[in-house]
Amino acid sequence: MNTQNILQLHPGWMLATGLAAIVLLSWFFWPQKGALAMIKTARATKERVHLEDALKFMFDCEYKNTPCNLNSIAGNLNIKPEKAGTLLERLLEMDLIRMNEQQISLTDTGKSYALRVIRVHRIWERYLADETSVSQTEWHNEACRIEHHVTVEDTEKLAAQMGNPVFDPHGDPIPTPGGDLPVPKGVLLSEIKEGAVGRIIHIEDEPKNIYEQLVVLGLYPGMQVYVIDISENKITFAADGEECTLTPLFASQITVELLSDEQRITQKHELLSALEIGEKAEVTGISANCRGQQRRRLMDLGIVPGSTVTVVMKSASGDPIGYRVMGTTIGIRKNQADHVFVHRKRKKENEYA
Amino acid sequence: MENTNSKREEILAAANAARWDMGDTFHDNIIESIYEDASRIARKVVQQKGEKEAYSFDLKVDKIVTSRWLGFPLMFLLLAVVFWITVAGANYPSALLASLLIDYLHPVLKHAADAIHLPWWLSGVLIDGGYLSMAWVIAVMLPPMAIFFPIFTLLEDLGYLPRVAFNMDSLFRKAGAHGKQALTMSMGFGCNAAGVVAARVIDSPRERLIAIITNNFSLCNGRWPTQILIASIFIGSLVPAQIAGIVSAGAVVSIAVLGIGFSLLVSWSLSKSVLRGEASSFSLELPPYRPPRIWQTLYTSLIDRTLIVLWRALFFAVPAGIVIWLVANVNIGDLSLAEHFINWSNPWALFFGLNGVIILAYIIAIPANEIVIPTILMLTVLSTKLSGIGAGSGVMFELDSVGDTANILHAGGWTLLTGINLMLFSLLHNPCSTTILTIYKETKSMKWTVFSTFMPIALGLIVTFFTTQIWNLFHM
Repeated sequence: MNTQNILQLHPGWMLATGLAAIVLLSWFFWPQKGALAMIKTARATKERVHLEDALKFMFDCEYKNTPCNLNSIAGNLNIKPEKAGTLLERLLEMDLIRMNEQQISLTDTGKSYALRVIRVHRIWERYLADETSVSQTEWHNEACRIEHHVTVEDTEKLAAQMGNPVFDPHGDPIPTPGGDLPVPKGVLLSEIKEGAVGRIIHIEDEPKNIYEQLVVLGLYPGMQVYVIDISENKITFAADGEECTLTPLFASQITVELLSDEQRITQKHELLSALEIGEKAEVTGISANCRGQQRRRLMDLGIVPGSTVTVVMKSASGDPIGYRVMGTTIGIRKNQADHVFVHRKRKKENEYA
Repeated sequence: MENTNSKREEILAAANAARWDMGDTFHDNIIESIYEDASRIARKVVQQKGEKEAYSFDLKVDKIVTSRWLGFPLMFLLLAVVFWITVAGANYPSALLASLLIDYLHPVLKHAADAIHLPWWLSGVLIDGGYLSMAWVIAVMLPPMAIFFPIFTLLEDLGYLPRVAFNMDSLFRKAGAHGKQALTMSMGFGCNAAGVVAARVIDSPRERLIAIITNNFSLCNGRWPTQILIASIFIGSLVPAQIAGIVSAGAVVSIAVLGIGFSLLVSWSLSKSVLRGEASSFSLELPPYRPPRIWQTLYTSLIDRTLIVLWRALFFAVPAGIVIWLVANVNIGDLSLAEHFINWSNPWALFFGLNGVIILAYIIAIPANEIVIPTILMLTVLSTKLSGIGAGSGVMFELDSVGDTANILHAGGWTLLTGINLMLFSLLHNPCSTTILTIYKETKSMKWTVFSTFMPIALGLIVTFFTTQIWNLFHM
């Protein structure tokens, strides 16, 4: 058998065909940007999605006492005002909203529908944050996609598995199955006085580009803030001891609960990853950015406030690093050690411990 | 009753409302306070003595084992020694088993079958098919397994393997995998099924799945003999005889290294695409060094592995042997099933630089990579109508002399390109059926089992296709 006789085609052509096939396939299947992914997203944008999103938005306005009209709905859903108009007519028909003059409000049925969607949305956000590796800036979008497809029963099962969480990862309360919500708490960071001490309880996840920047700055619910200086167009504050400056627009995305009796954190956290070999430190906390399985694992291993950690060895390539904690040696990667706050022990304290 | 129920609802509602006030951190606070209590009690009642010394010895060893300059060379040296002991040590018992089971017992069984006047087709199916295939798997697989795994278990018992994972982690982290995958991969060089089971040591779901799916890229024991044989026939013959051994060994090692490369590449793309959202966490216990329990380890791992091999030989190799015999002996018209398939697949197999014999051998020898070469030889003789070689249609065989084997393959139309492609395809094809079953048992997922089976085949066809076409471009 001779190869050349049977292969009529020139190998150059064969190569080109092969390459073209691979390019075509990857164009089709490429995650998120490929044609298949595009078709999926396009199919997801149906009327029901818009209806539910509009209800959610209107409920949010009522909850926070912000104005709600045709234009703000169109803006929030990212659709044309005419389309928002038809959408509202449809909602009126379904008896989910009522309108007098320019004021739009939800009917009782509309309200409970909205609450159901919000509950599903926030439970899924919690799930994405705690039980998956979906990145922080994707939780909202991902949950928005999921909320229109899952059943209420599945979501309730999921909630029960997670121990019925009451907050989503942005700090928003999750409505109860009966539709109860607590009274909104806290004040906006843009509205508090100089010298005030508070704790971040909520970071708004919309619009996405502002939220992304707040995430990059390392802000998250649970941080203590101390307002250092307020001027016309910027607010300077310390978040867990680290100085940070925001414009009022950005600061208004953050809700803070004022604290009167709490000790102000004056120093920045020292990070476990900053310790050198041989150094000893006491753990003071784990960042709220370390969630779910990852966090449970660290705590299981004994990395909890009050325990003593000694750096014992570096791997041949420098990362991970071996720590001695509670009588055993464990290896942890640098990006995990970045989440652990410690307080270095002085030499004298060392001899003690 | 009504009353208690409504009261319960009331209490639950009150508790839920209270949780909104308590905020998000109260679970953590509870864990913290439990730890605090525990450590306070421990401080009060536990006295520590003498632990310090043993621990400082560990530190000294760790300093060497994980040092920047010595860490990796030490690891490679140790692994090389383990492989050398396995290959060198398995040679003799393998030959012994082969001469006992195949050269001696097989004719004896055939004679016995003739003596009791068994029909030719029944003795063919049972003895030439089922028995021979089982004998082959035992002879090739048992000795290396019985040597490789006890040594591996001893190293683990000693406490050295966790340090390997610790050192290798940064490489695997970049591929989105876990450092312990270095261990499951090394296990895979012994047996992919064992490597897949070993992935249990990885506690993070995403990284464990990655380790399971990519384990097949570790060239297992059953595939080493194929690689060595083909490399010495086609690549060793390109160079002067004095260095032929080294060059062909180099070719086999490059295939193994290529496998590691594919393993990392596939891990990376999986973690970036389909497995992007799966939960992931990392931690690595570094236990203290301790003297291994030699006898216990030897005993249990010998028994365990032997049982796996025997089980595999019985449940997978025997049926495969029967199928192999049947395709070579059942005729439609004046050609056997095997020849029909070979004639049909020859034209398109050439696009991938393979041939119909290879394709058929890989399909019917799914249960065990060990019988691929004997099957290929048998099918080649069958399809080229060579006479005077082999033991009849459907009877797998191997030849003692590499030269004679080479003659058969050349007669079957093999070129250097076919040899290279066979080596590539032997690395990149579906896992054996034992491994496939193990993957299903470990993942409990049909989807991932199917994926791990077909993804390597697709990769193998892509790689051989491009190799062939580029080769042809330069040899037109």
